[in-house]
Amino acid sequence: MARPDAGIDARTRRGPGPTHLALMLLPALVVVVMLFGGGLLLGVLQALGHLPGAGLERLSGMHFGRVLTDPDFIQSFGLTLYVAAVSTLLAAGLSVVAALALNRMAARWRLVHFVFQIPLTVPHLVIAVAVIFMLSPAGLLARLAVAAGLIETASEFPLLVNDRWAIGIILTYVWKEIPFITLMLLAVLQNAGGELIDVGRTLKADAWQRFRHITLPTIFPALGAASLIVFAYTFGAFEVPFLLGRTYPMTLPVWAYKHYSDIDLMARPEGIATGIVIAAVVAMAVVTAQALTRRARKRGIVL
Amino acid sequence: MGALSLKDLHIHYDRQPVVQDFSLDIGDGEMVALLGPSGAGKTTILKVVAGLLAPARGEVIIDGQVVNDRPPEKRDAVMVFQKPLLFPFMNVNQNIAFGLKMRGDDAARRSRAVERILALTRLAGLGPRKVHELSGGQQQRVALARALVLEPAILLMDEPLSNLDANLRQEMRELILTVQSELNITTLFVTHDQAEALMMSQRVALLLEGRLRQVGSPRDLFHRPADPEVARFFGGGNFFRGRLHEGHFECDFGRLPVTAADGNGHLRTATIRPEDIQLATAPVDLPDSFAGTVVRTRFEGMATRAWIRCPFGELVVLTAESALAPGQSVRLRLPPDKIRVFSEASSSE
Ligand SMILES: Nc1ncnc2c1ncn2[C@@H]1O[C@H](COP(=O)(O)OP(=O)(O)O)[C@@H](O)[C@H]1O
Ligand SMILES: [Mg+2]
Repeated sequence: MARPDAGIDARTRRGPGPTHLALMLLPALVVVVMLFGGGLLLGVLQALGHLPGAGLERLSGMHFGRVLTDPDFIQSFGLTLYVAAVSTLLAAGLSVVAALALNRMAARWRLVHFVFQIPLTVPHLVIAVAVIFMLSPAGLLARLAVAAGLIETASEFPLLVNDRWAIGIILTYVWKEIPFITLMLLAVLQNAGGELIDVGRTLKADAWQRFRHITLPTIFPALGAASLIVFAYTFGAFEVPFLLGRTYPMTLPVWAYKHYSDIDLMARPEGIATGIVIAAVVAMAVVTAQALTRRARKRGIVL
Repeated sequence: MGALSLKDLHIHYDRQPVVQDFSLDIGDGEMVALLGPSGAGKTTILKVVAGLLAPARGEVIIDGQVVNDRPPEKRDAVMVFQKPLLFPFMNVNQNIAFGLKMRGDDAARRSRAVERILALTRLAGLGPRKVHELSGGQQQRVALARALVLEPAILLMDEPLSNLDANLRQEMRELILTVQSELNITTLFVTHDQAEALMMSQRVALLLEGRLRQVGSPRDLFHRPADPEVARFFGGGNFFRGRLHEGHFECDFGRLPVTAADGNGHLRTATIRPEDIQLATAPVDLPDSFAGTVVRTRFEGMATRAWIRCPFGELVVLTAESALAPGQSVRLRLPPDKIRVFSEASSSE
């Protein structure tokens, strides 16, 4: 934030020029472009109908058209959007609460910080299995409810897995993403939060006003960026809805996988076209997250 | 409008005492400098006055009311911090209007108050600027404006100029003095810079290691330090022992007439400031003088500091004579009216 840095910045910015830099980065760029760009290009070509082995050689937008107008695709798209949006919003809201609570505690109690990092290392798959174990009609919670006399048989237990509202999927994502968002927020709060809050207090802001006018704007770029990343992930992730979702409608990634691995090779381009739609949504979320981060840096907020 | 009274404050961090027995009264509209080296506890005291920190013991009284139990947002005191700490997600206008908005002033009133304070702090026209587009000095002025606009009873300033370069600092001092006297806000101004404390305030309170050592006018602290440590903080040196006897201080340098009347017959410590010692390079120039030899010198611009060996010890002299060389013989004279005899027999020195 301090302006004196600007002078130093200008003077030390005597590194390689833009062209020089591009040359130095060329080998890395080639690898990235070949791997990702090449893969994407092949994908796009296949989606456009170029699959010589199956006798499909003419390029056309037919598959994209067919996918985008398929009512099942619309259903899947809606479900995916719903799962990603709801889990992201829930995780974001709970993370704000968690980060504020932890920010108070973590100063005194470093262990809290550490414990909170543990879920980051657990794969989604493991959590999905754990959710089945806990929440399915034959799961631990249902049995405990029966044992406690809350319900008479396990079948009365509400359907939380492979259910209509994708509750199992959402719970898995929320549980898994809260630590990620929370730790991003904590980093910001511990850097800038405390002093600005003190300023707010002496400028007569009460607790709610401090949250609304200082804390929220301070964490907003980090919250936005983290949430978009979580949204992108949950929109594109396959394993959790594959395990915990219903057979109809499927989320887009599951739908894409089913089509791509169909024995009918004609379904393949549609699978890939779906994959590219997913990639586009994910890319948009990531680009927006980047823009938010850049804007925050410009204001001197450390992310 | 506001008087501030601090009574017997004791402040701890994690049971570790940081400030002890601190009492200070500041009159309505007065500007008092709280002076002390880094780590003395100055910020800590300001935070207690602001309400950001609770004292272990003692009272904070604003306008006759004990405010210990009131949170910062309910106290009529505003603090300007060492760093500007502007809200990065607001522009200059929004930063300055923040307190007014929190207080519930309507938009028209806010913008009128902001315009006025922008002019007063010489920020006119910068209102719509983003914070990161301002220079360090401008940022600190916005921080000041943001506090002043609330017209608090008490203004607390924690080394607001320490991050600015020398020229800008001088300019800001003038600005703060002008604004303070114009708005007549009771101000506690913290600084570690003794020159700044002397020029900025009507009274100076010197804090050393968490204890208030002396309160008084700038002249008092500079010319009549309470003890050798206070004298040393203000750049004093040249401590020597002697005995008070019938209005004279009898020491190695002679029988010097002094004004310290009490303590007849007692051993005392005295001091003379380096710039008060008279120095001459030729013996005829100086009556009542004694001889010395230059040990080393340091050129300091307006003056030269010289360490002079005398028959009774070494003296530090600040002189306009810039052509001194080590080994040179000089004559020194201690003007009796410049000698300060400390009232307590001091063990140090
Ligand atoms: N949050 C804190 N926890 C523990 N000790 C502190 C804290 N803040 C300051 N101190 C200690 O209290 C003393 C006074 O600090 P401070 O009031 O900041 O001094 P100053 O403002 O005069 O430089 C210092 O020794 C400092 O190390
Ligand atoms: Mg300080």
